[in-house]
Amino acid sequence: MTETLFEKIWNSHVVVERDDEPSLIYIDRHLIHEVTSPQAFDGLRVNNRKVRRPDLTVATIDHNVPTTDRSLPMIDETSSTQIKTLEKNCKDFGIKLFGINDPNQGIVHVIGPQLGITLPGSTIVCGDSHTSTQGAFGAFAFGIGTSEVEHTLATQTLWLEKPKTFEILATGKRKNSFAVTSKDIILSIIKQIGTDGGTGHVLEYRGDAISDLSMEQRMTICNMSIEAGSRAGLIAPDEKTFDYLNNRKYTPKNYDDLVDDWKNNLMTDANSKFDKTFTIDVEKIEPQVSWGTNPAMVSDVTSKVPTPEEFGNNNEIQIESAKKALSYMDLKPDTPIVDIPIDRVFIGSCTNARLEDLKDAAEIVKGKTVNSAVSAMVVPGSQMVKLQAEELGLDRIFKDANFEWRESGCSMCLGMNPDILKPGERCASTSNRNFEGRQGSGGRTHLVSPVMAAASAIAGHFVDVREWC
Amino acid sequence: MIGNVIKYEQDNIDTDVIIPGTYLKIHDYNELATHAMEGLDPDFPSKVKDGDFIVAGKNFGCGSSREHAPIALSTCGIKAVIAVSFARIFYRNSVDGAFLLPIEVDEETYKKISNSDSLEINIETNEIKNITKNETYSMKPFSEIIAQIISAGGLFKYKK
Ligand code: SF4
Repeated sequence: MTETLFEKIWNSHVVVERDDEPSLIYIDRHLIHEVTSPQAFDGLRVNNRKVRRPDLTVATIDHNVPTTDRSLPMIDETSSTQIKTLEKNCKDFGIKLFGINDPNQGIVHVIGPQLGITLPGSTIVCGDSHTSTQGAFGAFAFGIGTSEVEHTLATQTLWLEKPKTFEILATGKRKNSFAVTSKDIILSIIKQIGTDGGTGHVLEYRGDAISDLSMEQRMTICNMSIEAGSRAGLIAPDEKTFDYLNNRKYTPKNYDDLVDDWKNNLMTDANSKFDKTFTIDVEKIEPQVSWGTNPAMVSDVTSKVPTPEEFGNNNEIQIESAKKALSYMDLKPDTPIVDIPIDRVFIGSCTNARLEDLKDAAEIVKGKTVNSAVSAMVVPGSQMVKLQAEELGLDRIFKDANFEWRESGCSMCLGMNPDILKPGERCASTSNRNFEGRQGSGGRTHLVSPVMAAASAIAGHFVDVREWC
Repeated sequence: MIGNVIKYEQDNIDTDVIIPGTYLKIHDYNELATHAMEGLDPDFPSKVKDGDFIVAGKNFGCGSSREHAPIALSTCGIKAVIAVSFARIFYRNSVDGAFLLPIEVDEETYKKISNSDSLEINIETNEIKNITKNETYSMKPFSEIIAQIISAGGLFKYKK
């Protein structure tokens, strides 16, 4: 019988499966952070439960940490309490924590792979929807809510309905593989399949255009699977995957044997059937810029802000939502994308704040200066990324150009710490969500790639970044 | 279950408008509830009554995995969200913690229900009675797992 990669991973993790009933799935790795875990630990305490496998559980602090000097005391008391709560919970329950001053601290989805915690063929959960990022390693990785966090802590398993499978086949070669990034590929996919196109399905990204990508670029793609409604997206592991995970802090000792096993097993068999398929030719993809308030409201950089009617395509609700989005974003239809001025630039988040992202952005910025109307910041995805970037001198390039260079964390991706937009401010952001108020109440977010964000910071408005390299 | 409708004629009502990120630090449910729907309708906490239902379009609850979203709504008194479709994490969170019922209806039913209508939801018969308009609609039945979790009263009581 032929099976897809997802089905193979699922089948190898089933603890209980009966007809017409949910399956109990074993969880190999559980990552936790300060925001979605406190109530779960409360629940354990109330019911006198222990953490079943503290050795398979890892915690970090990322969402509300300040990205400014960490030797100073935290001003925000509720954030500080939430951080202390996680520290206490980890101590009480024997869980490894990469705390605020740890050199391995960082955004949970960045540190998982970086430390070799993420492994091909495994099941990985975290109380965070962008856990899908780690599917780039051929893992079934998905976000869960706090009740499920508690269930995983207590049992190392979860009751799940088996999702359907959705093949995203990316063919062709990008025309300019520096300026047209994996962010542009995934935004193009979401633009076409919609924010609920993948609901109830696990996406498997396949095809030459995917194999062609580096691991970090693949993570950007899988990261945004949730923006298409899919709890998980994955990519079959290959030599790039095995190389990336070799010799990391937590890479297993029998790594070579594991790799042999993965090579033999972790792929979708030829002629396997997916429940759905979507094909995209990446040769046609241009740099993308979002103009609206969800990640499907995206345009080519050479085009214009659409009219609600163009966007809605006869669907009244869509037309209304586009009108509302344009009003929130304070944009007029038919405005060329490159004419939209920006106030802020945020290079960061679990989507685009890994070393390659920063290197590419620095390449654009080198020797130039941020436009005087713009304030721009770089927030590395982890302290390790920050250190590696500093070893390459990237911090100097950014600082010389008037970018702020910060400590790692989620920062302006979700506006939980002091890094937020003021009402009405317009931001070119490398994050993943342009929802109303996401980066601060009244703030306006345009989702873009790191190179686009960098070039826009210099120009003061969006530009066709293909002309910059 | 009988309640009145607060309708938002919108698709993609996301978790960031249901409960903006800045409030995720709050541990106390009652305090959290004072910020429910703040990104979309700041008057929501003052107008919602215990037992009310939210009615909305497609992909309700898309975005983050924050369980704070169904918690904030349910602490305000919302007993069910009736939508054309739901983002899956929100959907599971709603039933896992027994916060509220996520009920799927077709587009036509969604259009027929108006703001302030009084509805009676019956999850045994999968029917929604519109008392105000004297109409009856059908809802999509829950899948086996969801029905079991709901009747158990949440994930932890399920298969205990
Ligand atoms: S960077 Fe943004 S999307 Fe990623 S985990 Fe942090 S808040 Fe969530």
